[in-house]
Amino acid sequence: MNTKQIHKYVNRYLEATDCSIIEKSPAHFTVKLSPDADRELTNRPYYWSFVDRVGAEPETMTFLFVTDQEKYEALQNEPLPEKKEASDSQTAAADAALARSFGFINSSVNAPRIPRHDVYFGSQKLEQLFGAAKARGSFVYLFQEADKRSATPYSSTPYTAWLGVNVRVEFACDRKREEIHSFGVSLVTGYCADRFHDRLLELKLTPRLPSNIHVTKNGISFAKAQSIVEQALERKLKNYDYTWAGDASARLQEELDRIEAYYKPLLQHATDENKPSIQEQYEQRQAETRWQYEPRVTASVINCGVFHLEGID
Amino acid sequence: MTFDSKTQNSTEGESPYARRKLHPHVDLQIDRSWFDELQLRMSRNGPWDDWTLYQLAMEAEQAKRVESFEQLQCLRTLPSFEPMPHQIGTASKVLHEMGGRAILADEVGLGKTIEAGLVLKEYMVRGLVKRALILVPASLVLQWVRELNQKFGISAVAQKKEHTWGYDVVVASMDTAKRDPHRERVLGTDYDLIIIDEAHKLKNKKTTNYQFATQLRKKYCLLLTATPIQNDLDELYNLITLLKPGQLGGQSDFAANFVVDKRLPKNEDQLQEALSSVMIRNRRGDGGIHFTKRFVKNIPLSLSPEEKALYDAVTGFVKERYDESGGDLTSMLSLVTLQREVCSSRDAVFLTLVNLFKKTTEDSPLRPKIWELVEKIKGITANTKAEKAMELVKEMNEKVIIFTEYRATQEYLLQFFRAHNMMAVPYRGGMNRGKKDWMMDLFRGRAQILIATEAGGEGINLQFCHHMINFDLPWNPMRVEQRIGRVHRLGQTEDVKIYNLCTLGTIEEHIVNLLHEKINLFELVIGELDHILEKLEGGESLEQRLAKVLLESGNDQDHLKRQLNSLGSSISQIRHAVKASGDNPYSAGPDLLVKMDKLGQTVEVEP
Repeated sequence: MNTKQIHKYVNRYLEATDCSIIEKSPAHFTVKLSPDADRELTNRPYYWSFVDRVGAEPETMTFLFVTDQEKYEALQNEPLPEKKEASDSQTAAADAALARSFGFINSSVNAPRIPRHDVYFGSQKLEQLFGAAKARGSFVYLFQEADKRSATPYSSTPYTAWLGVNVRVEFACDRKREEIHSFGVSLVTGYCADRFHDRLLELKLTPRLPSNIHVTKNGISFAKAQSIVEQALERKLKNYDYTWAGDASARLQEELDRIEAYYKPLLQHATDENKPSIQEQYEQRQAETRWQYEPRVTASVINCGVFHLEGID
Repeated sequence: MTFDSKTQNSTEGESPYARRKLHPHVDLQIDRSWFDELQLRMSRNGPWDDWTLYQLAMEAEQAKRVESFEQLQCLRTLPSFEPMPHQIGTASKVLHEMGGRAILADEVGLGKTIEAGLVLKEYMVRGLVKRALILVPASLVLQWVRELNQKFGISAVAQKKEHTWGYDVVVASMDTAKRDPHRERVLGTDYDLIIIDEAHKLKNKKTTNYQFATQLRKKYCLLLTATPIQNDLDELYNLITLLKPGQLGGQSDFAANFVVDKRLPKNEDQLQEALSSVMIRNRRGDGGIHFTKRFVKNIPLSLSPEEKALYDAVTGFVKERYDESGGDLTSMLSLVTLQREVCSSRDAVFLTLVNLFKKTTEDSPLRPKIWELVEKIKGITANTKAEKAMELVKEMNEKVIIFTEYRATQEYLLQFFRAHNMMAVPYRGGMNRGKKDWMMDLFRGRAQILIATEAGGEGINLQFCHHMINFDLPWNPMRVEQRIGRVHRLGQTEDVKIYNLCTLGTIEEHIVNLLHEKINLFELVIGELDHILEKLEGGESLEQRLAKVLLESGNDQDHLKRQLNSLGSSISQIRHAVKASGDNPYSAGPDLLVKMDKLGQTVEVEP
């Protein structure tokens, strides 16, 4: 993600969670968080449990998100000439006092604290935003917005319910790579579509049931749809090249042989007293090595939902 | 013991994973927990999540996706610094060729911490490491935590209380970790990665540290040491056994195949090969690693008559107290400070005198004597050193860091520079993190001068500045080295200029002479000093010895000189001995190491 994409990402998150943006530039946002966003981003569970218990009005924090450090700092360093006039004798005296103890002058020391967070790819804040998006974006139930043209008052458009599932597949041994797949299964016909998420992105979706539509009766159960997804995934993965897994297994065997060559003679010569502890260490090393090298493929669901789309597939 | 159940968030009872055979070598495990949650929400008619957040969650996964087995993913997540090519090379070798178990044996100062950080970050980005344990000497715990947080954006936590063990990335000292009640917690955890810094301390198989280390359960493991061999080859063997038992064969095979004498290897090529798959060692001479030069200049200054008068009076005062005490050293050490302070600023002496005054009883005969000294202080109007420092600063007209030992001097200098319309900011150990960062930012930005009382450890890296003035010198050489290390480090692009202000005819003159001429401190390679001081016999620190010599000789300049000379020459002897043990000062088994580094040319000692 480059700075522009991140800027857009932050913007969309803040809007989706109803945060009020106080100030923004292409390089930053100053934003008063909504209660939802505050819970996810400010790391103050104690405060929130207090608010929840007492029922107090929550006071959310204001954050400064800097999405482009260089540009933001360039903006900050531009002089603000009109401000100079404003300082009266009293603030001048206060500045002088501060200057004595800090060695420089800054009259905005007393302004409320707005923590600054640099948001770049790999930063903890962005990671937290990712987590926050996932926490509140896991399960959806949506309808395609009705096409205006066909909206005659007395005709009704047929809709199909789809089970949409986004899956992350990890291919791991002592190393790892990943793929993301997206499947959609029509609950009417059982037809399974690949790249389903891309298709959804082209549509306008709403949580509200549009008028003048009717949802076609489901032909298959959810459980059936789930197994269709799994089968589709498995079929796909079976055609992959698994040389890497073969290599990893070979490495694993080599390591296990080496460990055996080390521990077998040790065990033979050990006294009865020492034997159990050496045996234990031996088994531990074997287990560690398997953990390290054993090839595995894991599929986990990123998020999923039920989507009601126009037409019958 | 099965690691599977622990590594893949199992819930109790029935596994949410379905398992299928994909290929003779590999199974597919499919997560099904989502399905139950979806059904639950269906049956309750919600709550349903937001469509935008749903898309954002998917975009996050797409952005984080690890596309290939090879490429280092973590590099694009580190905007705040750029690792050196040899560090990146080392990290990718560990990841791709060594399966994540390696000894990182770079010479001191080449960034082993960075290499280990890169490996850790890469594994975390790839989701292969979640729980990591970093075992380091107690004095380095905070430094590691800070580096990992600041440079790598890894939320590492310093182990403080029992519950801190629950965090994903914990930094702790070996001594704490191996003690009860921590021991159980640590040995009961499966760590995805364990990093052990200063791993040469594990060389002896019989120590509790070593035995503790063998019991740790880990997937990947990094051992960091600049001196993989200090005395004999067995030490190296022991380290490797921690990582990969059997890599060099059994103990007897190893002795038969590779060892002629404790310190003499045979079949070097084979040994070399066996080692190269578990150990990486970068050296200063290797291509791409470049330190700039270091220039040191002593600036001799004569005290003004008023300052000299104060110095003599204080010296007399200290000597008197020493005689009175009947040669009891321990209580006197703090008085020596007075003498050092006169060489720094009158403010520093004044503060100490006031404190001393407060400690005496009202009828104490000391009180009038202290007053006398204070009178002398009043007579001083200008600070010779400060004037000179300003002259230097104006001359160089670039960023400069001034180090002093004393808070009072620091305050005085701040005022002094401000009075001359020069922008200076303070830095001291007592500041909280936020303020320290703030001061650093100011220094990086508008301020020309940083006045610091502390150089120790934590994260003041000032590569953007290459002038340094030692307003006064600490007696502990390690602290001098730390000061230099702030500025003269990897990443510094300019030659570094160091100025020592030194008042003639005072104790300071002797100290500068000792540190500069005898220890050759300013020309040592980073890390070398540690080695020399370690070998200095006797339990006393160099600081204590100096104070003792000083007190004992009183006004007898010849005696003082003789004593300091003998101290100096014993240090230079050690220094030569360390040097002579090989062109690499860090290993007593240098021949082997030099041969192991096929890349290695002669060691460049950067003055």
